Amino acid sequence: MRINVNRVWAMIIRYTIYLRHNYDRLTDLFYWPALDLFIWGLTGLYIAKLSNNSSHYLLIILSGLVFWIVVWRSQYEITTNLLSEMWDRNIVNIFASPLKVSEWILAVMVFGFLKTIVSVSFSAILSFIFYRFNIFSFHWLLIPFILSLLATGWAGGFLVAAFIIRYGMKLQTLAWAGIALIAPFSAIYYPVSVLPSWAQTVSLLIPSTYIFESIRDILFTGTVHYDKLVTSFILNAIYLILSLWFFVAMFGKSKKLGLSRLI
Amino acid sequence: MQHPVLEVKNLTKKFNNFTAVDNLTFSIADGEILGVLGPNGAGKTTTIQMLLSVMEPTSGEIFYFGKPFKKHRENILKQINFSSTYISMPWLFKVSEILKIYGMLYEVPDRKKRIEKLAKEFEIDHLLEKQFHMLSAGEQTRLFLTKAFLNYPKLILLDEPTASLDPDIAIKIREFLKKERQEYNVSILFTSHNMSEVEEMCDRVMILNHGKIIAHNTPQNLAKNISISLVELLITRDQKRAIGFFTKSKIQFYQERFSFKIPIAEKKIAEFLTGLSKDNIEYQEISIEKPTLEDYFLQVIGDTNEN
Repeated sequence: MRINVNRVWAMIIRYTIYLRHNYDRLTDLFYWPALDLFIWGLTGLYIAKLSNNSSHYLLIILSGLVFWIVVWRSQYEITTNLLSEMWDRNIVNIFASPLKVSEWILAVMVFGFLKTIVSVSFSAILSFIFYRFNIFSFHWLLIPFILSLLATGWAGGFLVAAFIIRYGMKLQTLAWAGIALIAPFSAIYYPVSVLPSWAQTVSLLIPSTYIFESIRDILFTGTVHYDKLVTSFILNAIYLILSLWFFVAMFGKSKKLGLSRLI
Repeated sequence: MQHPVLEVKNLTKKFNNFTAVDNLTFSIADGEILGVLGPNGAGKTTTIQMLLSVMEPTSGEIFYFGKPFKKHRENILKQINFSSTYISMPWLFKVSEILKIYGMLYEVPDRKKRIEKLAKEFEIDHLLEKQFHMLSAGEQTRLFLTKAFLNYPKLILLDEPTASLDPDIAIKIREFLKKERQEYNVSILFTSHNMSEVEEMCDRVMILNHGKIIAHNTPQNLAKNISISLVELLITRDQKRAIGFFTKSKIQFYQERFSFKIPIAEKKIAEFLTGLSKDNIEYQEISIEKPTLEDYFLQVIGDTNEN
C-alpha cells in the first residue's frame, strides 16, 4: 500500500483552508475550550474552597478538561472533515481524483493531530495562566498520554465515519454525539470505583479510562502505573485496527451504492 | 496494437432488482469524441460514476489505455478527469484555492502556470480571488471545466459541460474542446441534452434508455435512420386547390395561415412536387427540413418506451 505524500499534503492544505474560512471550526478550536475552562475551572475553585481549600477538585477538573480535548478533537476532525466533503458536495471530486482512501485517512489523522496540539496547547496555556495548572508537570508521560488519547479519538472517529460514509448525512449527529458515549465510562472526572459495577466492566474496555486513572494517580500519589499505560495502548491498537478496517469496508459498501448519493 | 483510450465490456449495475446499467459494451479511440444521450434515468450518470471509480459495477470490466481500471486506478485517474454540473466544490474556498488543491491532488507539474493559462482560456482569471459561492452557475461550470483540464487529461468525461452557460461562452467552450482534441488528441466522453451540440461535437453517439444501448453510430447515420422529412410550403393564392390535392392524394398536412407543413418520406418528395406542378398549384416558398439527431432520438426513445 503506497502512500503518496503530495496528495496527503494536498488534503491537509484543503482542511487547513477550510478551517481558515469557517468560523464554526475556529470557534470549536478556541472558543469552546476556553469557555469550558472558565466555567469548570471556576466551579473547581469554588468546590475547592468548600472543601478546605483542597486543590484536588480543581486538578481533577482541569486535567480532565484538557486531556479530554485530545479524544474529542481527534475524533471530531475525522468525522467533520468527512462531513465537510458532503456538505460541500465535493466528495465525488476528491474520490474521483487519484486520491486513495488510505491517503485520505492519513491526511485526517495528521490534520487532527495538528489541530489537537493547537487546541490542547491553547487550553494548557489558559489553565496555567488562570489556575497555575501546568500540564508539563507530567514530564515525558505527557507524550504517551496524548498519543493514547489521540488513538482513542481516532478509533472512535473512524467508527463514526464508517456509519456516516455508509448511511450519509442523516447520521451526522454522530459526529458530535458519538464519542460522548464513552465519556461517562472513561472516568474523566471521577475514579472508576464510583461507577456501578456493570459500568466498571464497560470502562475496563475503554482505553481512555486507563489514561485518566493514570493522570489521577500521578496527581495524587506521584506513582506511575505502567500496566495501565500498556493496557491502554493494547486496547487502542485493537480498536484502531478494527475501526480502520470497518471504515474501509463501509467505504467499499458505499461505493457499491455510489458516492454521489451522499451529496 | 494501440489500445482504445477507454474500453467498457459488459458493464452492469444493479440495485437489488433494478438494473440501472445493463450490459454496456463500448470503447473510445484516441482523440475521439463520444456523445452519450438518453432521457433522465437512462443510466448515463451511473455509467460515468463507474468510469470514475466512485461507484462499483455489479459486473463487467473497464479498461483505460488497455489496463484494467480496478488494478491501475490511481495511475489511470492521474491521466483522466471530469466535469459535472451535478456536483459542487467547497463553498467558502476561493477559486484559486480550489484549483490549487486539485492541482496538488493531480500532481500537476507546472501548477501555477497551468492554472493561469486555463483560467484565461475559460475566462475565469478575474474570478480567482472570489469565493465559490459567489460565482454564478455559468462561472461555476467554467471552474469545473478548468479543474477538468488541469492535469492535461488524455480522456475527459464531461457531464452536461455547457449546461447553464451563456450561448457565447458555450460556443467558446465547444471551440476550446475541439482545439484540445486537435492539438493534444484528447478523447472526450460527452453527455448533453443539447442535440445540436452533440451533433456538432461528437464523432459517434450512443443512445441509452433503461440502462441499455439502443443506438450507436455517427450522428449523421443515426439521423439517416429517419426517412421522414418535413416539407414546408408557403402558398398564398391556391390554398383551396392545395388542400384538395393533399386530401385527394391522402397526404397528411398541417396548416398555419399560408404555411403548410407536410411530413413526407424523403424518396417521395420529388413525386409530391411533380403532383403539385401538374395540378398547377403555385407555392411562393419551399423549405425541406432533413431529419435531425433529435428527431431520431425522440423516435427511438419513444419506440423503446412503448416496447
